[in-house]
Amino acid sequence: MISPAAVARRAAPVLACIGLLAAWQVASLGLKNDSFPTALEAIRAVPDILGDKESLINILASLRRMAIGFGIAVLVSIPLGLLMGRSRAVASFFNPLLMVIYPVPKAALMPIIMLWLGVGEATKILVIFLGVSLPVIYHSFEGAKAVEEKMLWSGAAMGLSALQRLVRIVLPAALPEILTGCRTGLVLALITMITSEMIARQSGAGNILFNALDMGQYDTVYAMIIVVGAMGICLDAVFERVRAGLVRWSEPQFDMPLSFS
Amino acid sequence: MKVVPSRSSDWVRPVTSQKPASAIIEIDRVSQVFQTSARNDHLALSDISLTIEEGAFVSILGPSGCGKSTLLYIVGGFVSPTSGAAKMKGQAITGPGPDRGPVFQEFALFPWKTVLGNVMYGPRQQGVSATEADAQSRALIEMVGLKGYENFYPKELSGGMKQRVALARTLAYHPEVLLMDEPFGALDAHTRTRLQNDLLNIWERDRKTVLFVTHSVDEAVFLSDKVVMMSKSPGRIREVIDIDLPRPRRRNELLLDPRYQKYVVDIERMFDESDHAGSLL
Ligand SMILES: Nc1ncnc2c1ncn2[C@@H]1O[C@H](COP(=O)(O)OP(=O)(O)O)[C@@H](O)[C@H]1O
Ligand SMILES: [Mg+2]
Repeated sequence: MISPAAVARRAAPVLACIGLLAAWQVASLGLKNDSFPTALEAIRAVPDILGDKESLINILASLRRMAIGFGIAVLVSIPLGLLMGRSRAVASFFNPLLMVIYPVPKAALMPIIMLWLGVGEATKILVIFLGVSLPVIYHSFEGAKAVEEKMLWSGAAMGLSALQRLVRIVLPAALPEILTGCRTGLVLALITMITSEMIARQSGAGNILFNALDMGQYDTVYAMIIVVGAMGICLDAVFERVRAGLVRWSEPQFDMPLSFS
Repeated sequence: MKVVPSRSSDWVRPVTSQKPASAIIEIDRVSQVFQTSARNDHLALSDISLTIEEGAFVSILGPSGCGKSTLLYIVGGFVSPTSGAAKMKGQAITGPGPDRGPVFQEFALFPWKTVLGNVMYGPRQQGVSATEADAQSRALIEMVGLKGYENFYPKELSGGMKQRVALARTLAYHPEVLLMDEPFGALDAHTRTRLQNDLLNIWERDRKTVLFVTHSVDEAVFLSDKVVMMSKSPGRIREVIDIDLPRPRRRNELLLDPRYQKYVVDIERMFDESDHAGSLL
C-alpha cells in the first residue's frame, strides 16, 4: 500500500518540473524573444540531439571524463581525508594547501592547466578531479574526526593494527559522512565537466551547448540545458539509491523493537 | 606497597575459591598528569599501586573525576602513564591486546555491523573460521539474553541491549581480564539491576578476572571480591576492602544480608568523611 503522503512525496518533484516548464513557456511566449525559445520548442529539440550519433558520442565522452575525474578524485580524497581526520600531523600538513585551493574556482585554473597539459582529456579530467576532491576530502575528514575513540580502542583490543583500524573501523564508521561528500562531489563533477568543455572546446556536452549558442541555434542550447539537467537528476538519483543501500544501518528510519533491557 | 608473591602457592584468595591465586595485573606506582592548558597540569592519578589476583572481581570505586577511567585505560594499554608501570602477567603493558577486553559505558559497538557481526568481529580477527565464529557468537548472544536479535543493527537496540552486545563482543575473543568502565552507568535503574544480575551469573561460571569501574557503592559491594576506594584530586587509593560475602550471590538474599548492608554503610561513611575532609581544605 502506498499512503497518500507517499504519493504526494513522489509527485512533488514531478509537479515542480511541470510548474517550471509552464512558467518558462508563459515567460517566453510573453517575451517573444528569438534567443528565448519556448519550453515546448526546447523539448522538441531534445530527441534531435539524442538521435544524432555525433551528439551522443560527445555526451558519452563527457560522461566518461566525468566518471574518470570523479573516480580518481574519490579514490585519492577518501584515504587522504580519513588520514587527515585521524592524524593531526597529516591534517596540519595538508590543511594550508587545501585552504589555498578551496576558494579558487576550479575552472579559473583551466588556462594554466591547459598550458601544461594542452586542451585534451587530461586537462578536463584534472579540473573535474579538483572540483570533486575538496568536498570529498572535507567530508571524509569530518567523518573520520568524529569516529568515537572507544570504537577504535575496542578494535585495538581485538588486535587490529593502526592501518586495519583505519580501513575497517574509520572507513565504515565515517561512510555516511563520506557519501554526503561524494554526492556533493558528483554534482560538482557535472558542473566542472560542462565548464571545462566550455573553456577547452573540443568535444563533449558543453561543446555542443556552446557551439549551438555561437550559431544561434537557441532551441538546441536550451535542449542541451534540459539534457544536462536531466543527467544531473538521474546521476543524483542513482547515487542516492546506492548511498541509501550502503548506510542503511545509520539511518534513523528503523522501527524500534519493543522496549527490552 | 603490598607485594604479592609471584608463586601462586604462597597465597590463597580469602573468600570464595580454594584455588591458589596469583597476580595477573600489577600496577606499580602509576601517576598520570594531564596538561589542561599551556600553564596548568592536572595530576589525575598519584602513585597508584595495586595488585589484582587472577580470577578476582575487583571494583574501583570513587567519585566522578577521581581517575577511575584513566586507571582502567592504563591497564587496557589505551593510555600510557606519565610515570610508573602496569604489568599483565609480569609483562609490561605497552598497548591494547586481546588478553584485556574492554567494555565501555558508551558501548562503542560497530554500528554498521549487526549484533552477530559485532560479536563475531573479535574471533574473526583472531583467525577463527567463519562457521566456528558464527556458532560461538550465537551461543554467546543467547547467553547474554539476546537470542532472536542476531540480525538487528545497534541502532535498533535499547541501551541495555547494546551493553549486552558489547559484553558478548568482548567475551567472544576470550580476554583473560575484563575491563569494565561504568558499563551500566548509562542505563536506567531497572535495567542496571538486571544487567548486574546477569553479569554475576555469567561471571560465576568461568570466573574471569574483572576490573570493574563504578561510582555506585551498592554495585561495587554486590559484585566484587574486593573494592578499591579512590579519593579525588589527586586520584589516590584510599582503602582496599575485601568483600567477604558468599557466592553465588543472589540479589534478593544479599540485600537482606546484614553483612552486605554493613559493607555498603561503612563504605558510604568513609566517602562522607573524605568529602568533609575535602571541604575543610
Ligand atoms: N585526555 C585527558 N586530558 C585532560 N584531562 C583529562 C583527560 N582524561 C581525563 N582527564 C582528567 O583527569 C581526571 C580523571 O578523569 P577520569 O579518569 O575520566 O575520572 P573518572 O573516570 O573517575 O570520572 C578528570 O579531572 C579529567 O578531567
Ligand atoms: Mg570515568
